[in-house]
Amino acid sequence: MAEKQKLIEIKNLKQYFPVGHGQVIKAVDGVTFDIYKGETLGLVGESGCGKSTTGRTIIGLYQATSGEVLFNGVSVHAKKTSQELKQLKRKMQMIFQDPYASLNPRMTVADIIAEGIDIHGLAKTQEERMKRVYELLETVGLNREHANRYPHEFSGGQRQRIGIARALAVEPEFIIADEPISALDVSIQAQVVNLMKKLQREKGLTYLFIAHDLSMVKYISDRIGVMYFGKMVELAEAEELYRNPIHPYTKALLSAIPLPDPETERVRRRTVYDPSQHNYKEGEPLEFREITPGHFVLCSEEEYKKYKAIYS
Amino acid sequence: MEKLLEVKDLQVSFQTYGGEVQAVRGVSFHLNKGETLAIVGESGSGKSVTSQTIMRLIPTPPGKIKSGQIIFNGEDLAKKTDKEMEAIRGKDIGMIFQDPMTSLNPTMKVGHQIMEVLVKHLKMDKAAAKERAIELLRLVGIPMPEKRVNQYPHEFSGGMRQRAMIAVALASNPKLLIADEPTTALDVTIQAQILELMKDLQKKMGTSIIFITHDLGVVANVADRVAVMYAGKIVEMGTVDEIFYDPRHPYTWGLLASMPSLDSDDKSELAAIPGTPPDLTNPPKGDAFAPRNPYAMKIDFELEPPMFKISDTHYAATWLLHPDAPKVEPPEAVKKRLRQLSSNYPQPVIVKESE
Ligand SMILES: Nc1ncnc2c1ncn2[C@@H]1O[C@H](COP(=O)(O)OP(=O)(O)OP(=O)(O)O)[C@@H](O)[C@H]1O
Ligand SMILES: Nc1ncnc2c1ncn2[C@@H]1O[C@H](COP(=O)(O)OP(=O)(O)OP(=O)(O)O)[C@@H](O)[C@H]1O
Ligand SMILES: [Mg+2]
Ligand SMILES: [Mg+2]
Repeated sequence: MAEKQKLIEIKNLKQYFPVGHGQVIKAVDGVTFDIYKGETLGLVGESGCGKSTTGRTIIGLYQATSGEVLFNGVSVHAKKTSQELKQLKRKMQMIFQDPYASLNPRMTVADIIAEGIDIHGLAKTQEERMKRVYELLETVGLNREHANRYPHEFSGGQRQRIGIARALAVEPEFIIADEPISALDVSIQAQVVNLMKKLQREKGLTYLFIAHDLSMVKYISDRIGVMYFGKMVELAEAEELYRNPIHPYTKALLSAIPLPDPETERVRRRTVYDPSQHNYKEGEPLEFREITPGHFVLCSEEEYKKYKAIYS
Repeated sequence: MEKLLEVKDLQVSFQTYGGEVQAVRGVSFHLNKGETLAIVGESGSGKSVTSQTIMRLIPTPPGKIKSGQIIFNGEDLAKKTDKEMEAIRGKDIGMIFQDPMTSLNPTMKVGHQIMEVLVKHLKMDKAAAKERAIELLRLVGIPMPEKRVNQYPHEFSGGMRQRAMIAVALASNPKLLIADEPTTALDVTIQAQILELMKDLQKKMGTSIIFITHDLGVVANVADRVAVMYAGKIVEMGTVDEIFYDPRHPYTWGLLASMPSLDSDDKSELAAIPGTPPDLTNPPKGDAFAPRNPYAMKIDFELEPPMFKISDTHYAATWLLHPDAPKVEPPEAVKKRLRQLSSNYPQPVIVKESE
């Protein structure tokens, strides 16, 4: 493979939320990783571990507590002119987890999808604008009759597709898809995932794909990062992660994937992760270390030696 | 087995600017005590509307129950007044909604929302209710529940909101729990925990569960029986083994074939079902699935298929089961699953309308 080009660099990113009485929730607590141009990086992990917050901070929806995010070498959080900001916003789009909360109920589907087209002046005429909207609706498996309807008239899955069409409308380079397919039935999931892959091939799009459905994540991702309580605990190529999970949380996660086979499910045994099982000493430093080429695990020095001995 | 719920020929429509959306077009099924029925199907096929109609939660207008009965515990819920439903909702029937943000009250602390149910339906005093609310949050896997109980929904992550809602629904120990994609927003470890919790509750309390999901892995894990919906109708229904090991409807085949397999490294295109679901303001003539069905025959575009019975428990509405239909091969991914089930009739039989 040719030298991989970094599109996004995330360096020791932290995002803390105050919760009163001087306490904070460390939603993202020092994560470092790169996203290469044209790749799909899958992000999985326990609910509440900070995946959405990571995505939102990368895209600049939140000011980071500390750390840095570079897009094409340019800091996302540094001060910018409004023109620069507008450009950056166009290049990075987000498809949201909650299709209900993220669509304005008072706008028609056409206006929702065309909002970005209007802001960035991507259509010269009204005719061109509507043509684009119809194309986008069809791209995401809806039809032109849907253009003049309002979000509440759609099912959950249909709304999610409107969100995807809206993100695609401004022809971004990088899309953070926060559980873009969770609300869809499997046949439409397959359509959307095929669509995302096709768009990636054709337009060289880069994705950060956040999801819970691990079989779909494995299918779509080149690499997968596993988060646990604000930290990235493991990162590897998709196949490698499934074949040789190292961190005990990753093992627990993989053992819990329900399979579409009633007999397997009747006898399912899953491993449960208990953070105390590491027996870390008080204040023992943990680092994200490379165990085998491209396969990183958050571990102590002692664990590192053990993992190295076992896996390489 | 004792029936807790029987839905008979339910039809629900919405009056919209573009015309009447026939969201549910004659749905019939029953649910036994202590049983879990999974409903799967196309997005927009009427799963949520069906379940919300049972709870009488569809907005009227624009929604309307055009016909049908919802017999719950011997009474027809379709005929109840709003006030009567009020007493049933949240007590005898608990519901977990697909979208936690619209069903949790954003201005009210999560703990209070659980306590409200406990005080109203179980007549607990405030102190006991608070304690139980914390316990319920712990049960659904929320860490630090003593702190979280005092937070507002927006301070929770997507999955945590979902779990908070599950806690609200379980608070009153309902007879029937309707769970609309309850674990969609959860990671698989928490999901497994919640599914175990629900099964546990079911065993202890004899709760019946309607579980709407599109995750066929979850269906295989929780369901006793499965109903497959398409365009406002149930197109196939059977025991979980019948649906996974002997599916008969081409839409069910499409669903089963479109999942990526976890143990294959195959990166070729997924077998999506092509095309778009039909517009329910103008439901097509014949079989609504026909335009997307690679196995469609001429008759599919003209005449709606009757329900065929494959066994005592297995039904499917497709002309492919007619004795005169040509023999067809299901997709490769489905063929791998097929087993001979001994409970099947020698030949599928047409179910008469009157049955
Ligand atoms: N605006 C906010 N204010 C306070 N706390 C927040 C806020 N947003 C997120 N959090 C907290 O940060 C943590 C991480 O939340 P986040 O939404 O990033 O999780 P997630 O990994 O996306 O989870 P899920 O899979 O459930 O969507 C959670 O503890 C959450 O409660
Ligand atoms: N308030 C409403 N007004 C108009 N149409 C509606 C309304 N609510 C639902 N519908 C329509 O009813 C049909 C069934 O919707 P429903 O929400 O039951 O789908 P679903 O099977 O739950 O889909 P999903 O898997 O996407 O959640 C859809 O075509 C939808 O557009
Ligand atoms: Mg999230
Ligand atoms: Mg729904």
